[in-house]
Amino acid sequence: MTELPAELRPPLVELLLSAADDKFILGHRNADWTGLAPILEEDIAFSSLAQDDLAHAAALYDFICGLTGDNANRLAYGRRPAEYRCAALVELADEFDWAVAIARQFLCDHFEMLRLGRLARSAYPPLAELARRMLAEERLSLGHADQWVIRLGRAADDAPARMQAALDRLAPLAVELFEPTAGMDALESAGVYPHDAPSMYDLWEASVRNIVQEAGLRIDLRPPPPDFRGGRSGKRSPLFADLLAELTEVYRVEPEAAW
Amino acid sequence: MGLSRIRQAGGERQYEPELPAAAAGDLKPYEVFVQLERGKPHVHAGSVDAADDEMALLFAREHYGRDQSCVQVWVVPRAAIVRTDYDKDLVFRLSDQSYRFAKGYNVGEKWRKFMSDREYTEYRRGDIKEHF
Repeated sequence: MTELPAELRPPLVELLLSAADDKFILGHRNADWTGLAPILEEDIAFSSLAQDDLAHAAALYDFICGLTGDNANRLAYGRRPAEYRCAALVELADEFDWAVAIARQFLCDHFEMLRLGRLARSAYPPLAELARRMLAEERLSLGHADQWVIRLGRAADDAPARMQAALDRLAPLAVELFEPTAGMDALESAGVYPHDAPSMYDLWEASVRNIVQEAGLRIDLRPPPPDFRGGRSGKRSPLFADLLAELTEVYRVEPEAAW
Repeated sequence: MGLSRIRQAGGERQYEPELPAAAAGDLKPYEVFVQLERGKPHVHAGSVDAADDEMALLFAREHYGRDQSCVQVWVVPRAAIVRTDYDKDLVFRLSDQSYRFAKGYNVGEKWRKFMSDREYTEYRRGDIKEHF
Protein backbone atom coordinates (compact mmCIF):
# COMPACT_ATOMS: atom_id res chain seq x y z
CA MET A 1 0.00 0.00 0.00
CA THR A 2 1.81 3.12 -1.19
CA GLU A 3 -1.16 5.47 -0.90
CA LEU A 4 -3.60 5.39 1.98
CA PRO A 5 -7.15 4.85 0.63
CA ALA A 6 -9.19 8.00 1.27
CA GLU A 7 -11.84 6.15 3.30
CA LEU A 8 -9.17 4.96 5.76
CA ARG A 9 -7.90 8.43 6.46
CA PRO A 10 -10.50 9.49 9.08
CA PRO A 11 -10.19 6.21 11.08
CA LEU A 12 -6.40 6.42 10.95
CA VAL A 13 -6.52 10.00 12.22
CA GLU A 14 -8.73 8.82 15.11
CA LEU A 15 -6.35 5.98 15.98
CA LEU A 16 -3.23 8.15 15.81
CA LEU A 17 -4.88 10.91 17.82
CA SER A 18 -5.61 8.39 20.56
CA ALA A 19 -1.93 7.34 20.58
CA ALA A 20 -0.66 10.93 20.44
CA ASP A 21 -3.06 12.16 23.13
CA ASP A 22 -2.15 9.27 25.46
CA LYS A 23 1.51 10.21 25.11
CA PHE A 24 0.90 13.94 25.34
CA ILE A 25 -1.19 13.83 28.50
CA LEU A 26 0.97 11.17 30.16
CA GLY A 27 4.12 13.14 29.35
CA HIS A 28 2.53 16.23 30.88
CA ARG A 29 1.50 14.34 34.01
CA ASN A 30 4.99 12.87 34.41
CA ALA A 31 6.69 16.21 33.80
CA ASP A 32 4.92 17.41 36.96
CA TRP A 33 7.47 15.30 38.86
CA THR A 34 10.42 17.40 37.70
CA GLY A 35 12.17 18.48 40.87
CA LEU A 36 10.08 16.19 43.05
CA ALA A 37 10.97 12.58 42.19
CA PRO A 38 12.19 10.43 45.09
CA ILE A 39 15.92 10.68 44.32
CA LEU A 40 17.88 13.14 42.21
CA GLU A 41 18.98 10.57 39.64
CA GLU A 42 15.42 9.40 39.13
CA ASP A 43 14.20 12.98 38.91
CA ILE A 44 16.37 13.53 35.86
CA ALA A 45 15.59 10.12 34.37
CA PHE A 46 11.82 10.48 34.81
CA SER A 47 11.81 14.00 33.36
CA SER A 48 13.91 12.84 30.48
CA LEU A 49 11.52 9.95 29.77
CA ALA A 50 8.60 12.37 29.99
CA GLN A 51 10.27 14.31 27.19
CA ASP A 52 10.32 11.12 25.12
CA ASP A 53 6.56 10.86 25.56
CA LEU A 54 6.13 14.46 24.43
CA ALA A 55 8.51 13.90 21.50
CA HIS A 56 6.47 10.86 20.45
CA ALA A 57 3.26 12.87 20.73
CA ALA A 58 4.80 15.62 18.58
CA ALA A 59 5.90 13.08 15.95
CA LEU A 60 2.39 11.62 15.83
CA TYR A 61 0.72 15.04 15.64
CA ASP A 62 3.05 15.87 12.74
CA PHE A 63 2.14 12.63 11.02
CA ILE A 64 -1.58 13.36 11.46
CA CYS A 65 -1.05 16.84 10.01
CA GLY A 66 0.53 15.20 6.98
CA LEU A 67 -2.79 13.41 6.47
CA THR A 68 -5.12 16.29 7.24
CA GLY A 69 -3.17 19.48 6.56
CA ASP A 70 -3.78 20.58 10.14
CA ASN A 71 -1.21 22.27 12.37
CA ALA A 72 0.53 20.25 15.11
CA ASN A 73 0.44 23.04 17.69
CA ARG A 74 -3.27 23.50 17.17
CA LEU A 75 -3.81 19.77 17.51
CA ALA A 76 -1.83 19.64 20.73
CA TYR A 77 -3.15 22.79 22.37
CA GLY A 78 -6.09 24.12 20.40
CA ARG A 79 -8.78 21.47 20.75
CA ARG A 80 -11.80 21.37 23.01
CA PRO A 81 -11.78 18.67 25.72
CA ALA A 82 -14.26 16.50 23.79
CA GLU A 83 -11.88 16.43 20.83
CA TYR A 84 -9.13 14.65 22.75
CA ARG A 85 -8.93 10.87 22.37
CA CYS A 86 -6.78 9.79 25.33
CA ALA A 87 -7.74 7.02 27.76
CA ALA A 88 -8.94 7.80 31.28
CA LEU A 89 -5.77 6.26 32.75
CA VAL A 90 -3.45 9.01 31.53
CA GLU A 91 -5.72 11.74 32.85
CA LEU A 92 -5.47 10.34 36.34
CA ALA A 93 -3.75 12.72 38.77
CA ASP A 94 -1.16 10.86 40.84
CA GLU A 95 -1.24 13.43 43.65
CA PHE A 96 2.50 12.91 43.98
CA ASP A 97 2.17 9.33 45.01
CA TRP A 98 5.22 7.77 43.38
CA ALA A 99 3.66 4.30 43.32
CA VAL A 100 0.66 5.65 41.38
CA ALA A 101 2.93 7.46 38.90
CA ILE A 102 4.96 4.29 38.36
CA ALA A 103 1.89 2.06 38.06
CA ARG A 104 0.32 4.44 35.53
CA GLN A 105 3.51 4.52 33.48
CA PHE A 106 3.93 0.75 33.75
CA LEU A 107 0.41 -0.11 32.55
CA CYS A 108 0.59 2.45 29.73
CA ASP A 109 4.04 1.37 28.54
CA HIS A 110 3.05 -2.28 28.24
CA PHE A 111 0.05 -1.18 26.18
CA GLU A 112 2.15 1.21 24.11
CA MET A 113 4.67 -1.48 23.19
CA LEU A 114 1.85 -3.54 21.68
CA ARG A 115 0.15 -0.62 19.96
CA LEU A 116 3.44 0.52 18.41
CA GLY A 117 4.24 -3.09 17.56
CA ARG A 118 1.04 -3.34 15.56
CA LEU A 119 1.65 0.02 13.88
CA ALA A 120 5.21 -1.07 13.05
CA ARG A 121 3.72 -3.94 11.02
CA SER A 122 1.33 -1.60 9.22
CA ALA A 123 0.69 -2.06 5.51
CA TYR A 124 1.09 1.71 5.19
CA PRO A 125 4.90 2.08 5.02
CA PRO A 126 5.38 5.66 6.31
CA LEU A 127 3.39 4.76 9.43
CA ALA A 128 5.32 1.51 9.95
CA GLU A 129 8.60 3.39 9.70
CA LEU A 130 7.59 6.01 12.28
CA ALA A 131 6.31 3.33 14.66
CA ARG A 132 9.53 1.32 14.43
CA ARG A 133 11.58 4.34 15.49
CA MET A 134 9.25 5.05 18.39
CA LEU A 135 9.24 1.42 19.43
CA ALA A 136 13.01 1.45 19.95
CA GLU A 137 12.67 4.33 22.42
CA GLU A 138 9.56 2.88 24.02
CA ARG A 139 11.61 -0.13 25.16
CA LEU A 140 13.70 2.17 27.36
CA SER A 141 10.61 3.58 28.99
CA LEU A 142 9.18 0.11 29.52
CA GLY A 143 12.43 -1.14 31.06
CA HIS A 144 12.41 1.81 33.43
CA ALA A 145 8.82 1.18 34.55
CA ASP A 146 9.38 -2.57 34.96
CA GLN A 147 12.48 -1.97 37.06
CA TRP A 148 10.61 0.33 39.40
CA VAL A 149 7.63 -1.99 39.83
CA ILE A 150 9.95 -4.88 40.68
CA ARG A 151 12.08 -2.77 42.99
CA LEU A 152 9.17 -1.29 44.92
CA GLY A 153 7.42 -4.64 45.08
CA ARG A 154 10.45 -6.32 46.59
CA ALA A 155 11.53 -3.43 48.80
CA ALA A 156 11.40 -3.31 52.58
CA ASP A 157 9.05 -1.12 54.63
CA ASP A 158 5.82 0.17 53.15
CA ALA A 159 6.83 0.24 49.45
CA PRO A 160 5.19 -3.09 48.45
CA ALA A 161 1.91 -2.16 50.15
CA ARG A 162 1.87 1.23 48.41
CA MET A 163 2.71 -0.32 45.05
CA GLN A 164 -0.03 -2.89 45.57
CA ALA A 165 -2.55 -0.19 46.43
CA ALA A 166 -1.63 1.70 43.26
CA LEU A 167 -2.06 -1.40 41.10
CA ASP A 168 -5.41 -2.17 42.75
CA ARG A 169 -6.60 1.37 42.09
CA LEU A 170 -5.39 1.58 38.49
CA ALA A 171 -6.21 -1.93 37.22
CA PRO A 172 -9.90 -1.17 36.46
CA LEU A 173 -8.93 2.05 34.66
CA ALA A 174 -6.16 0.40 32.66
CA VAL A 175 -8.47 -1.72 30.53
CA GLU A 176 -9.95 1.54 29.22
CA LEU A 177 -6.78 1.77 27.10
CA PHE A 178 -8.36 -0.93 24.92
CA GLU A 179 -11.41 1.06 23.91
CA PRO A 180 -11.41 0.98 20.09
CA THR A 181 -11.31 4.26 18.22
CA ALA A 182 -13.95 5.01 15.58
CA GLY A 183 -13.48 2.95 12.43
CA MET A 184 -10.76 0.70 13.86
CA ASP A 185 -12.27 -2.40 12.21
CA ALA A 186 -11.61 -0.98 8.76
CA LEU A 187 -7.97 -0.25 9.67
CA GLU A 188 -7.55 -3.76 11.03
CA SER A 189 -8.99 -5.55 8.02
CA ALA A 190 -6.96 -3.38 5.62
CA GLY A 191 -3.77 -4.25 7.52
CA VAL A 192 -3.09 -0.61 8.39
CA TYR A 193 -3.41 -1.62 12.05
CA PRO A 194 -2.86 -5.38 11.88
CA HIS A 195 -4.25 -7.66 14.56
CA ASP A 196 -2.15 -9.27 17.25
CA ALA A 197 -2.40 -13.00 17.75
CA PRO A 198 -3.31 -13.88 20.44
CA SER A 199 -5.31 -10.75 21.08
CA MET A 200 -3.64 -7.52 22.12
CA TYR A 201 -5.43 -7.71 25.46
CA ASP A 202 -4.15 -11.25 26.15
CA LEU A 203 -0.59 -10.23 25.30
CA TRP A 204 -0.83 -7.14 27.50
CA GLU A 205 -2.36 -9.04 30.37
CA ALA A 206 0.40 -11.68 30.21
CA SER A 207 3.28 -9.19 30.05
CA VAL A 208 1.85 -7.04 32.86
CA ARG A 209 1.19 -10.07 35.04
CA ASN A 210 4.66 -11.42 34.39
CA ILE A 211 6.34 -8.33 35.86
CA VAL A 212 3.81 -7.94 38.67
CA GLN A 213 4.49 -11.52 39.75
CA GLU A 214 8.23 -10.97 39.56
CA ALA A 215 7.66 -8.03 41.89
CA GLY A 216 5.82 -10.32 44.31
CA LEU A 217 2.58 -8.34 43.82
CA ARG A 218 -0.89 -9.10 42.47
CA ILE A 219 -3.07 -7.50 39.84
CA ASP A 220 -6.70 -8.18 39.16
CA LEU A 221 -7.25 -7.59 35.46
CA ARG A 222 -10.61 -8.24 33.83
CA PRO A 223 -11.08 -8.26 30.04
CA PRO A 224 -12.34 -4.91 28.75
CA PRO A 225 -16.06 -4.40 29.31
CA PRO A 226 -18.32 -3.94 26.27
CA ASP A 227 -19.24 -0.48 27.51
CA PHE A 228 -16.18 1.69 27.90
CA ARG A 229 -16.14 5.05 29.60
CA GLY A 230 -15.66 6.67 26.21
CA GLY A 231 -12.26 8.35 26.56
CA ARG A 232 -11.50 7.41 22.96
CA SER A 233 -14.65 9.15 21.76
CA GLY A 234 -14.18 12.33 23.76
CA LYS A 235 -15.88 11.64 27.09
CA ARG A 236 -13.52 13.26 29.54
CA SER A 237 -13.16 12.82 33.27
CA PRO A 238 -13.89 15.85 35.47
CA LEU A 239 -10.13 16.24 36.00
CA PHE A 240 -9.50 16.92 32.35
CA ALA A 241 -10.71 20.51 32.13
CA ASP A 242 -8.24 21.63 34.80
CA LEU A 243 -5.47 19.62 33.26
CA LEU A 244 -6.09 21.12 29.83
CA ALA A 245 -6.36 24.65 31.22
CA GLU A 246 -2.93 24.28 32.78
CA LEU A 247 -1.42 22.59 29.75
CA THR A 248 -2.63 25.23 27.30
CA GLU A 249 -2.03 28.25 29.53
CA VAL A 250 0.86 29.61 27.45
CA TYR A 251 -0.63 28.64 24.09
CA ARG A 252 -3.84 30.52 24.83
CA VAL A 253 -1.97 33.78 25.46
CA GLU A 254 -1.19 34.03 21.74
CA PRO A 255 -2.37 31.02 19.72
CA GLU A 256 -0.84 32.25 16.48
CA ALA A 257 2.58 32.96 17.95
CA ALA A 258 5.56 31.29 16.29
CA TRP A 259 7.95 29.63 18.75
CA MET B 1 -2.59 29.97 37.53
CA GLY B 2 1.17 29.99 37.77
CA LEU B 3 2.45 26.81 39.28
CA SER B 4 0.44 23.71 38.65
CA ARG B 5 -2.44 23.29 41.05
CA ILE B 6 -1.08 20.00 42.21
CA ARG B 7 2.14 21.68 43.14
CA GLN B 8 0.35 24.48 44.92
CA ALA B 9 -1.55 21.92 46.95
CA GLY B 10 1.70 20.09 47.57
CA GLY B 11 3.23 23.27 48.98
CA GLU B 12 0.75 23.21 51.81
CA ARG B 13 1.88 19.81 52.93
CA GLN B 14 3.94 19.48 56.04
CA TYR B 15 7.43 18.26 55.31
CA GLU B 16 10.03 16.96 57.68
CA PRO B 17 12.42 19.79 58.54
CA GLU B 18 15.36 17.79 57.22
CA LEU B 19 15.58 15.55 54.18
CA PRO B 20 15.81 11.96 55.32
CA ALA B 21 19.24 10.47 54.74
CA ALA B 22 19.31 7.52 52.36
CA ALA B 23 19.25 4.23 54.23
CA ALA B 24 22.71 2.82 54.71
CA GLY B 25 23.69 0.66 51.75
CA ASP B 26 20.65 1.85 49.80
CA LEU B 27 22.45 3.59 46.96
CA LYS B 28 26.01 3.12 45.75
CA PRO B 29 28.12 5.49 43.68
CA TYR B 30 28.95 4.54 40.09
CA GLU B 31 31.36 6.24 37.71
CA VAL B 32 30.02 6.86 34.21
CA PHE B 33 31.96 6.74 30.95
CA VAL B 34 30.58 7.61 27.53
CA GLN B 35 31.86 6.82 24.07
CA LEU B 36 31.02 9.38 21.39
CA GLU B 37 32.00 7.24 18.40
CA ARG B 38 32.74 3.57 17.93
CA GLY B 39 36.44 2.92 18.24
CA LYS B 40 37.04 6.15 20.19
CA PRO B 41 37.96 6.03 23.89
CA HIS B 42 35.33 5.99 26.62
CA VAL B 43 35.58 9.29 28.46
CA HIS B 44 34.70 9.85 32.09
CA ALA B 45 31.45 11.82 32.16
CA GLY B 46 30.55 11.93 35.84
CA SER B 47 28.89 9.74 38.42
CA VAL B 48 25.45 8.56 39.53
CA ASP B 49 24.09 6.97 42.70
CA ALA B 50 21.98 3.87 42.17
CA ALA B 51 20.74 0.78 43.97
CA ASP B 52 22.31 -1.69 41.56
CA ASP B 53 24.03 -2.08 38.19
CA GLU B 54 20.84 -2.12 36.14
CA MET B 55 19.52 1.06 37.69
CA ALA B 56 22.93 2.71 37.42
CA LEU B 57 22.99 2.03 33.69
CA LEU B 58 19.49 3.41 33.29
CA PHE B 59 20.38 6.60 35.17
CA ALA B 60 23.68 6.98 33.33
CA ARG B 61 21.94 6.65 29.99
CA GLU B 62 19.40 9.32 30.89
CA HIS B 63 21.92 11.70 32.50
CA TYR B 64 24.97 11.49 30.34
CA GLY B 65 23.82 9.70 27.22
CA ARG B 66 21.31 12.22 25.95
CA ASP B 67 22.85 15.68 25.93
CA GLN B 68 25.34 14.57 23.28
CA SER B 69 25.11 11.89 20.66
CA CYS B 70 26.98 8.86 21.91
CA VAL B 71 27.15 5.20 21.03
CA GLN B 72 27.85 3.51 24.37
CA VAL B 73 27.67 4.14 28.09
CA TRP B 74 29.68 2.33 30.76
CA VAL B 75 29.01 2.32 34.48
CA VAL B 76 31.55 1.08 36.99
CA PRO B 77 30.85 0.69 40.71
CA ARG B 78 33.21 3.18 42.34
CA ALA B 79 34.17 0.46 44.82
CA ALA B 80 35.50 -1.62 41.91
CA ILE B 81 38.09 1.00 41.02
CA VAL B 82 41.54 0.30 42.43
CA ARG B 83 43.39 3.55 42.84
CA THR B 84 46.55 5.12 44.18
CA ASP B 85 46.51 7.29 47.26
CA TYR B 86 47.23 10.99 46.75
CA ASP B 87 49.40 11.23 49.86
CA LYS B 88 50.94 7.83 50.25
CA ASP B 89 51.57 6.57 46.76
CA LEU B 90 54.24 7.77 44.41
CA VAL B 91 52.93 7.89 40.87
CA PHE B 92 55.40 10.22 39.25
CA ARG B 93 59.14 9.78 39.81
CA LEU B 94 60.88 12.44 41.87
CA SER B 95 64.27 12.18 40.22
CA ASP B 96 64.79 14.13 37.02
CA GLN B 97 63.60 11.95 34.20
CA SER B 98 62.40 14.73 31.97
CA TYR B 99 63.85 12.86 29.02
CA ARG B 100 60.86 10.58 29.37
CA PHE B 101 58.35 13.35 28.70
CA ALA B 102 56.76 12.90 25.35
CA LYS B 103 57.64 16.40 24.23
CA GLY B 104 60.50 18.18 22.55
CA TYR B 105 60.02 16.54 19.20
CA ASN B 106 59.58 19.84 17.40
CA VAL B 107 59.37 18.57 13.89
CA GLY B 108 56.43 20.75 12.84
CA GLU B 109 58.62 23.57 11.58
CA LYS B 110 60.96 21.22 9.72
CA TRP B 111 58.04 19.36 8.22
CA ARG B 112 56.38 22.54 6.96
CA LYS B 113 59.67 23.69 5.45
CA PHE B 114 60.16 20.32 3.86
CA MET B 115 56.67 20.25 2.40
CA SER B 116 56.87 23.76 1.02
CA ASP B 117 60.24 23.19 -0.56
CA ARG B 118 59.97 23.91 -4.26
CA GLU B 119 62.52 21.35 -5.18
CA TYR B 120 60.60 18.67 -3.41
CA THR B 121 57.36 19.69 -5.11
CA GLU B 122 59.02 19.52 -8.47
CA TYR B 123 60.69 16.26 -7.64
CA ARG B 124 57.37 14.78 -6.65
CA ARG B 125 55.73 16.02 -9.82
CA GLY B 126 58.47 14.35 -11.83
CA ASP B 127 58.20 11.24 -9.71
CA ILE B 128 54.50 10.93 -10.36
CA LYS B 129 55.02 11.42 -14.10
CA GLU B 130 57.66 8.76 -14.14
CA HIS B 131 55.75 6.13 -12.27
CA PHE B 132 52.18 6.60 -13.45
